[in-house]
Amino acid sequence: MRFVIKRLGLFLVTLWAAMTINFLIPRLMPGNEATAVLAQFKGVNPAALHALQVEFGVGLDQNPILTYIQYMGNCLTGQFGLTAARVPVMTVIMQGLPWTLGLVGVTTVIAFVAGTVLGMISAWRRGGSLDSLLSPFLFILTTFPVFFIGLILLYVFGVALNWFPLASNYSIGTNPSFTLEFVWDIISHATLPALTLVVTTAGGWIYTMRNNMVTTLSEDYVRMARAKGLPSWRIMVDYSARNAILPNLTGFAMQLGFVLGGSILVEYTFSYPGLGYLFFTGTTNHDLPLQGALFLFYTLAVLVCVLVADFATAVLDPRTRDA
Amino acid sequence: MRQAKLLKLLIVAGVIVAGCGSSGTAAPAAGASQAPNTGIVGGKVVIDNESGSTWSCQFNPFNPSVNLTSVGFIYEPLEFVDALQTNADGTNKVTPWLASGSTWNADYTQLTFTIRSGAKWSDGSAFTANDVVYTFNALKADAALDVNALWNSNGGPITNVALQGTDQVVITFSAAAQTYFYYVADQTPIVPQALWSKEDQTKLDSFADTAPIGTGPYTMANCSQNNIQYLRNANYWQSTASKPVPQIAEVDYPAFLSNDPANLQLSQGQAQWGAQYIPNIQSYYIAKDPAHRHYWFPPVANVAVFPNLENSLLGNVAVRQAISFAINRSEVSQRGESGYEPPANQTGIVLPTYKAWYDASLDTTKFDVAKADSTLEAAGFTKGSDGIYKDASGNRLSFTIKTISGYTDWDSSVQVIQQELKAAGIEISNVLDEDSGTYTTDLQGGNFQLAYGEETGGPMPYYELRQMLLGSNIGSTNYSRYKSADTDTLFNSFASSSPADQMTIIHKIETVMANDVPVIPVVCGVDWYQYDTTNIGGWPTPDDPYAAPAVWSLPDNGVVLTHLYPTK
Amino acid sequence: MNAQAELSRPGAAPGARSFNDAGVRLGKAILRNRKATIGLALLLLITFVALFPGLIAPYDPHAAIFDQQIGPSSGHILGTTQVGEDVFSQLIYGTRLTLIITVVVGAITTIVAVLIGVTAAYIGGMADGTLSLLTDIFLIVPTLPLLIVLSTYLEGSGTVAIIAVLCLTGWAFGARQLRSQALSIRNKDFLESARVRGERRPYIILVEILPNMLSLVVANFLGSAVYTVATAAGLQFLGLGNSGEITWGTMLHFAQQNGALESGNVFWALAPGAAVALLGTSFALLNYAFDEITNPALRPARRRRGKSPA
Repeated sequence: MRFVIKRLGLFLVTLWAAMTINFLIPRLMPGNEATAVLAQFKGVNPAALHALQVEFGVGLDQNPILTYIQYMGNCLTGQFGLTAARVPVMTVIMQGLPWTLGLVGVTTVIAFVAGTVLGMISAWRRGGSLDSLLSPFLFILTTFPVFFIGLILLYVFGVALNWFPLASNYSIGTNPSFTLEFVWDIISHATLPALTLVVTTAGGWIYTMRNNMVTTLSEDYVRMARAKGLPSWRIMVDYSARNAILPNLTGFAMQLGFVLGGSILVEYTFSYPGLGYLFFTGTTNHDLPLQGALFLFYTLAVLVCVLVADFATAVLDPRTRDA
Repeated sequence: MRQAKLLKLLIVAGVIVAGCGSSGTAAPAAGASQAPNTGIVGGKVVIDNESGSTWSCQFNPFNPSVNLTSVGFIYEPLEFVDALQTNADGTNKVTPWLASGSTWNADYTQLTFTIRSGAKWSDGSAFTANDVVYTFNALKADAALDVNALWNSNGGPITNVALQGTDQVVITFSAAAQTYFYYVADQTPIVPQALWSKEDQTKLDSFADTAPIGTGPYTMANCSQNNIQYLRNANYWQSTASKPVPQIAEVDYPAFLSNDPANLQLSQGQAQWGAQYIPNIQSYYIAKDPAHRHYWFPPVANVAVFPNLENSLLGNVAVRQAISFAINRSEVSQRGESGYEPPANQTGIVLPTYKAWYDASLDTTKFDVAKADSTLEAAGFTKGSDGIYKDASGNRLSFTIKTISGYTDWDSSVQVIQQELKAAGIEISNVLDEDSGTYTTDLQGGNFQLAYGEETGGPMPYYELRQMLLGSNIGSTNYSRYKSADTDTLFNSFASSSPADQMTIIHKIETVMANDVPVIPVVCGVDWYQYDTTNIGGWPTPDDPYAAPAVWSLPDNGVVLTHLYPTK
Repeated sequence: MNAQAELSRPGAAPGARSFNDAGVRLGKAILRNRKATIGLALLLLITFVALFPGLIAPYDPHAAIFDQQIGPSSGHILGTTQVGEDVFSQLIYGTRLTLIITVVVGAITTIVAVLIGVTAAYIGGMADGTLSLLTDIFLIVPTLPLLIVLSTYLEGSGTVAIIAVLCLTGWAFGARQLRSQALSIRNKDFLESARVRGERRPYIILVEILPNMLSLVVANFLGSAVYTVATAAGLQFLGLGNSGEITWGTMLHFAQQNGALESGNVFWALAPGAAVALLGTSFALLNYAFDEITNPALRPARRRRGKSPA
């Protein structure tokens, strides 16, 4: 029980910290959403500026504490206001969400599964070609900048071979529909961005899984299992991998933050209109409500995953509960 | 390069246009230009413009983030002012649109529009003078809608807008307001009272308008994140049985997040109307079908170095002159803008667009490093051992320059300028890239040393020069913080002057630009425009500049759409 | 990803060691490890280029005097930029700032991580609770989004701003690792004897604890450097760097913005990308090798009994 309360406490404190950072930064910056909108017209009309400030609730002399409380209330109830283009922030986020969710979700699962299995085999056949060549190679790939991998794939498979489209989430001029053709269109547009994310994250899973496996393989209970003459795949999967995978679960959650960051760069590279691209344009357009809401969204996504992973680990491995 | 264009796209409300001249002249028939009407309806035009974001499917013509998809297509102005066509006296050519004509009173304080009869909203209801009165009063009710500050309650000159008889609208100004004709007639799209009056009148600026009803040549048929499909408005007021308008049946406007896929689309011939910066346009675009593919980049505004005159060194006119002498504008044009944006000149007159206003005898500050040296030496500056000039008390001529992050053509231009100034003994110590919001705030607040930027301008040089130099624009568009009572008087007398006097006034202001160097124009911003004649004719060309040709020039885009016709 | 590796590393050092001993052992170990040798050689090469770019680059990297955006040719082996600068010269001159950012951020984040991690572990109690909470918060808040938010605030201030935001967001990982190792040696005999001798806290931390954690501190620096190389380049690639300064990241930004890949000027984009990858690889190889050196269980050759994950 203490464990649960402790983790929930961390969850709340981190959420509060992220919300506060989000509150402070726009207010410390020069200008605000209203001036950003009016920057679109160069001649500033003071009356229009005031009207916009009222609308965005910024730039006015208000009690900062009151504003803060109001802001926290709005965040908790999901009222993020309007973007600089005066579309509700939630509407814009809901437009981008499915694309990022699909991209990040699918690639993370693929990378995790592939990485874990390869890591497991790599440790089991230590010194084999997988272990001494492929694994280090994939690990080195994780240190490559995400966008560099993206640019290479874009060049090779997009420009040079022309197998996949260069940008966007589906073909220009097609209307979304539930046809096989359209689904294929979406998949072909998502292939290169997804491949980029898989290539840059799988190596990490291999690396940690292998190292954990190596450690568990030398445990007494594994030696015992060997001594008992159990089939080797059972030793590998049931005895060794099962324990080695635990730290990876926590890693899975923490990794999400890394993948979300990577998705910003990937979506930018491939002009893929998901949340990462919105976050980028929100930043360059000084669209603070959009930028702020997305930052909170990212933080919340990681927090929830960390929380779930913590509880999952606690259920699977009682030792952690005392930690 | 996408960004410099984006800027334009965002400021559409101001870019092109308008005339101060009265348009009381006999109006040409509806449809305006003498374009051939082939009587055929059909075909499809695909627009190709990097918008930087997916479509929000909102069409409020007063929302600067979305109006490029509604003004011209769906919503129309009272009269159209062509920035690219001037009369002999320098005034712009004006075409009546939803108004059939207009007249000023003698002292330019009252403007009367006669509203066209027979036009219809696309839902079938009649367009009337009441809609016009409603639209202008809506700007008063929601100040955020009145971004051009038309109403006196918002700092502008309009005191009253009223119906006269059944088909006339009288706009009353607090002072002579010839120069406001452009904002009133060309830059204010008219919306339907019946639908708009149902919304919260104080929050019209954030009204989504997802099912827009307008008078324009097209109706919005379908909108997704990636594409807007417009279909021909069968009841369009310019259309007759023998001369159908518009002639193009369908227009598609895809959303492009970045430059490369947009350029690819054009290069593959899948789009007909481009508004793109294309590196190596000759080989990448034209060469693939030289018989049908063309481009035209008419210059419309200055891109300039703004010195902050409150900086003690830059407050010295000799330093500003030296900077102007030291910049090789052709080189910046060639290397920074691939030669697509032509060099500007120190008078501030954009050529060749506004050549009627240009006084060549004043244009004497040309690239000349020796003169930069002699100017500084005459003013008591000496060159230090590091090759940089310093004043008597040892202050080095070393400045930072601010620009907008992501405007890579500006970054390139600034790099070239940095090297050129260095050769003339003036250092740019750091290039500071800021997002557009921060940049604008800093420039308006005087928080910079040098800045690279541009104004929105207008249909003649008056608008841009006034934005840059009028004393009361300090804090908004007068980035240099230039103050001169004489110059202010010149600007303030412009709106009540005859065309001949207006010409004299602009020449005097060119003298100010040449002598005081309050702003240092470097290159001319252009309308990006490519067009494909394979299936579509009627495009604006340098020989027939009947409208500014960029897709994001509003409401010129609508004028272009009424001129296009299928050739097959 | 290294967190898990760290957890499985045999935590406690057997006894008190000095910095010197530890350093010599480390140096020998690096030379014996193939991955480490390659990594070190690469790093030395890059450092040499950063120190003496003028010896290698044929032109001034800012000299916009050539034909614009041409592909590789004999005069310009990697082609030219949109304003007509030599790409190869930019690549060479861009090494310095790229390396400086990497090393400075790596060093500062490691120092902060040591200060916070070791202090938290050694002092314990409320201080530990607070510092650990702070560490956890910075670990969870997604880094790149936070970096982007912060860099819009600091924009216009150039390289210093990039270094500042990378430091601010990059220390937490190391702090957590160092804290857990410091915890595990806190109650060792040699520390107890130092306490009995009446040594003061700073002395104990600096002279007794740190040398025993040297390998982890170095690993931390390497990990941080790997991360910094890619992240700094990512920010610059997005255009959030300083466009007036030449780094590999800003080169990539200009190449991407000018359609280098599509217009046949491929190396303008790929060369700086490869350089970033190479620098990252050199640190990563050292780091990889380092795990093997400090955790013999991971060595390819012989098997050795290790501890179960903590």
